[in-house]
Amino acid sequence: MLSWSSHQDGTPADIDALATGAGDAGLPHGAALLAFAEAIAGWDDDALAAARARLEDTAGEAFMIDAAAVAANFEMMTRVADGTGARHPAEALEARRALAARLGMVEGP
Amino acid sequence: MVAPGARFTGALRREIAEVAIAAALDPDPPPPWVRPYGDPALDLAFRLGRHAGTITEQWYEQLVTEGLHPLEWVEVVGVVIAVLPPVLFARAVGAPLPQLPPAADGPPHGREAEELARPMLNFVPVAAPADRTASVVQALSALPDEWDNLWRLAQAQYMGDRDMDDPLWSRGTLSRPQMELVAGRLSLIRECFF
Repeated sequence: MLSWSSHQDGTPADIDALATGAGDAGLPHGAALLAFAEAIAGWDDDALAAARARLEDTAGEAFMIDAAAVAANFEMMTRVADGTGARHPAEALEARRALAARLGMVEGP
Repeated sequence: MVAPGARFTGALRREIAEVAIAAALDPDPPPPWVRPYGDPALDLAFRLGRHAGTITEQWYEQLVTEGLHPLEWVEVVGVVIAVLPPVLFARAVGAPLPQLPPAADGPPHGREAEELARPMLNFVPVAAPADRTASVVQALSALPDEWDNLWRLAQAQYMGDRDMDDPLWSRGTLSRPQMELVAGRLSLIRECFF
């Protein structure tokens, strides 16, 4: 979705940033967004407060709140997928294998 | 979330919600293979709340063998996935965490899909016909109330399903690629292969 939407948007994103959390993925506020998402996924409240303040300082409160809403949505969707055994059709899995390997989710071919 | 569901009372749904919230926020939780409650529904709530990426079809079959009905499994998932987002959103923005209201009395309402099917794309039963939509879309369709909760939350937090095919859709703040950056990084850290 990131690759597709960013190409359509005219700002092709660096997909590798998803795997490493480093850099800004080539997107405005990308570094602060990655840090915020990572802090939300962790359990260090001080780190979360710092990441929140950084994003709010650079992009504004409304931006930070919407980013938190998106993160909350994927706290939900990941559990829907994992809790119901959601999987892709076999033909789609094959097409996704290269991307999954690039993100370190599976071994490469 | 704490009113009676298809198969559970409001009191049990509240207990499931409490377990999931505690698991999600615990700085030092038990590992995923531990079953802290000795109760299939509550142990599922714990594991889904904290170690969702470790849930397997084999464990699903194990709990069903122990007596947890497949639709009870779906209801636990429905409760957990709906109760966690407001709590985790509040934590993310630095707001006070919302508290659960008292459970509503009454028996389970029994609302389930008219016909169930065993899908290829999920290990839980879904509303028939199966596999005509994406696996995450049909995932909770066996219990229409849980399905409705899921997609109301998605509309509020992310976007409606009709907007998903538009790569330029924006929340007015984040662009679509910025939204997907947050979604992708969080999903990877949560080890959600899907």
